[in-house]
Amino acid sequence: MRLECYNLNYTYPDSEVPVIRDLSFSMETPGFNAVFGPSGVGKTSLAKLIAGMEPGFSGKIITTGIDTILYSYNLERLPGWSGTGNHLDKVTPDGKQQLKDRLISIFELKNILESRFSKLSMGQQNRINLVRYLLQDFDLLIMDESLANVDEKLRETIILSIKDLFPAKMFLYISHNLMEVSGLCRDVLVFGKPSGNKGCSIIGGRDYTKGYQPDKETLDRTMLEIMNAI
Amino acid sequence: MLFRRIYQFLIVYFIGLIFLLLIKAVLSLSDYVIPGVGLITETFGQVLNTYFFDVMNTMSVTVLGQCISIAMAFGVGIAGRKSSWMGSFIKVTAYNIQAYPIVALAPIIFILLGDGFISRLLIASMICYFPLLLSVLGIMATPVEDIEHFYIITGRMRWQLEVKIRAFENLSKITTVISGSATLAMAGTIVAEFIAANAGIGYSIRVALYQSDLAKILVALFMIGIIISIYQGCLETLGEQIKTRWSVSKGGNTI
Amino acid sequence: MKKKNLIFWMFLFATALVATSHAGETELNYRLKWLFNTSVAGDIYAEAKGYFREAGLKVNVREGSPEKNAINELELGHSDFGVASADQVIRALDKGAKIIVLAQLFQVSPMQWIYRTDQPQIKTLEDLKGRNIGITFGGNDETVMNTLFAKAGITKKDVKIFGVRFDFTPFFKREVDVWPVYFNSQGVILKDKLEKEGEKVYFFNPADFGVNFVANSVITSEKTWKNRPDMVKKFTAALLKGWEAAMEPSNEADVLMEIKKKDKESNDELRRLQLIATRELIKPLASIKIGTIDTDAWKQTETIMLDEKQIKKPVHVETMLKN
Repeated sequence: MRLECYNLNYTYPDSEVPVIRDLSFSMETPGFNAVFGPSGVGKTSLAKLIAGMEPGFSGKIITTGIDTILYSYNLERLPGWSGTGNHLDKVTPDGKQQLKDRLISIFELKNILESRFSKLSMGQQNRINLVRYLLQDFDLLIMDESLANVDEKLRETIILSIKDLFPAKMFLYISHNLMEVSGLCRDVLVFGKPSGNKGCSIIGGRDYTKGYQPDKETLDRTMLEIMNAI
Repeated sequence: MLFRRIYQFLIVYFIGLIFLLLIKAVLSLSDYVIPGVGLITETFGQVLNTYFFDVMNTMSVTVLGQCISIAMAFGVGIAGRKSSWMGSFIKVTAYNIQAYPIVALAPIIFILLGDGFISRLLIASMICYFPLLLSVLGIMATPVEDIEHFYIITGRMRWQLEVKIRAFENLSKITTVISGSATLAMAGTIVAEFIAANAGIGYSIRVALYQSDLAKILVALFMIGIIISIYQGCLETLGEQIKTRWSVSKGGNTI
Repeated sequence: MKKKNLIFWMFLFATALVATSHAGETELNYRLKWLFNTSVAGDIYAEAKGYFREAGLKVNVREGSPEKNAINELELGHSDFGVASADQVIRALDKGAKIIVLAQLFQVSPMQWIYRTDQPQIKTLEDLKGRNIGITFGGNDETVMNTLFAKAGITKKDVKIFGVRFDFTPFFKREVDVWPVYFNSQGVILKDKLEKEGEKVYFFNPADFGVNFVANSVITSEKTWKNRPDMVKKFTAALLKGWEAAMEPSNEADVLMEIKKKDKESNDELRRLQLIATRELIKPLASIKIGTIDTDAWKQTETIMLDEKQIKKPVHVETMLKN
């Protein structure tokens, strides 16, 4: 499994300024990777290019052993005409009932399955949305701030469980939380500030798994490394 | 909702009537030009019953015409929602046909179909159909990206689901347009009757106009106004109920 | 200073001159009953030939329509004179309007019925029995036909009544035998069309059966008639002079040319035929002076309307006829 990008350039049709400029990187083997950087540097644009949602870019995106790419994002909604549980049932492929139940339990969603989507808090909305993506067949799932508004402790539980449940899948997690990406992610693609000349680089995260023992010194070093890359 | 519609109409009607009576008094006009209160009351007594059944006759065509136009608008709106060649062809055709005033097409309809029920129905549906179509096309052609994205990227999107999502997200707009189009359907039926039918309140207005009988026309306007207010009020209530029923969860939550 | 004064007085004099020249010509509005066509030949001709101007009047002759009712306009002061049918006048009198009839334009009512000659001719009212008769519900023809029925003791069971529209298709398709027309306009068109198909037609004229329902007449308000008698006289005289000239066969080509300027809808031949038909109605006999008011016909029209319950009480229309 390999995701490679070479000399990517992309400018939105209604803009003259390129949002992605000469970006090259590669990520190998499955794992929970991150994209990190300040707002407006092109993280979402990159995600959409990889997911095949934005045509008209130059450069190359090579996905070896990755057939299905899904892109999920913060503020997605479920239809409002029935309860969220009902919607979840409808999009759960055959044979994934157990996985669904397990995810519902990990994501702490049991009590809200009867409710309409619009009645949920933003954190609950993002969680139920992510669950339905995790139930689909995919090789690479891009999570564009998909856990925004979820409290920190639950977020960590969710990420560690995802890593545990889907060891053969690749994830690209777009987040603004430095501690989270430094500790929980494997490869961190760091976007430098547009004003600077640092470009992009891949920094190795601590890639903690369930039951990890935090090592403050190494974590601080990784965080510093990421900050310097920005 | 229903009562508000009725008293709103009554206020407008009586303001209009007082305005007419003021003009009559100021310019000291005869009952021929503007009928006085006595004549209006007398005419009310004479024709109220007849006009009620006339309006009900018109109303039956209106309701049927509106149902047809809603079905047509949704049919064309759904077919024309895609940005494909066919979709844009349907849209452009629909917009272009709309440019023709139906009243100008009416004589052709009467020559082809005679001046009976079918012509009235067709004209009513056509007058009501185009504004509905514009709204439905607008709603159906606008993606609800934050909901549709999941179904598109996972390959689960079907046209029925797409229509359902867009209709649900614009339910308020749709119910408002449908209840608003009731007035248009009524106006369409009245115009058709005025031009060429042998029944309905539009026909009665034409007869009254032949006889320059403004009192009868005022009674007709009153009956039309009251009954259309009731119909619209019912439609709005129905719309509210549909919205509530569709969007209330089993747990009793509403959107 | 003197020079300035001179200029001032010259200016004042010039202004006064202009004002006097305009003041000499009284401007007034004349609302017709229907659109410009051959049946208003005299109205068009009087204006075109300057008869109004000769009388010191500047008349704006305006087209009519069902919505532009001359009686309403007289009351509202938008028009000074107008054309209305007798039933309109009688209805208005019934509702308290003050209307004066100055001249009756149609001596014979144009409201007639057309039917094909392959059907038995209607020689007596009894002959109406069993026929499919077209009627404009609410129109004059309904009143007239009802009167004819009442006269002959015909009930609705004896005939078939068909509600008529602007579209002649039912008559062409022979769904209706006897179709109401204005003799000098639609009558001419239908006759022409059917003759081209090799079919001949008869006209059924209610007047032949003793029902004289008066049609278009010239009217003014009682106020104008009382307050401006000179102007009323001048206007009526100039208008009737226009009608006399327009109905004069030797003026035919000139009249048709003036009508053509206003009515672009019909073709030349149709307009000629319509003018001939109009002449039959306006001046059926050389001895009849155009504008003559047939008081008996007016009274009969009132009686018919009273019988048909179109008016509530007698209006004594004869008192409003001021020829």
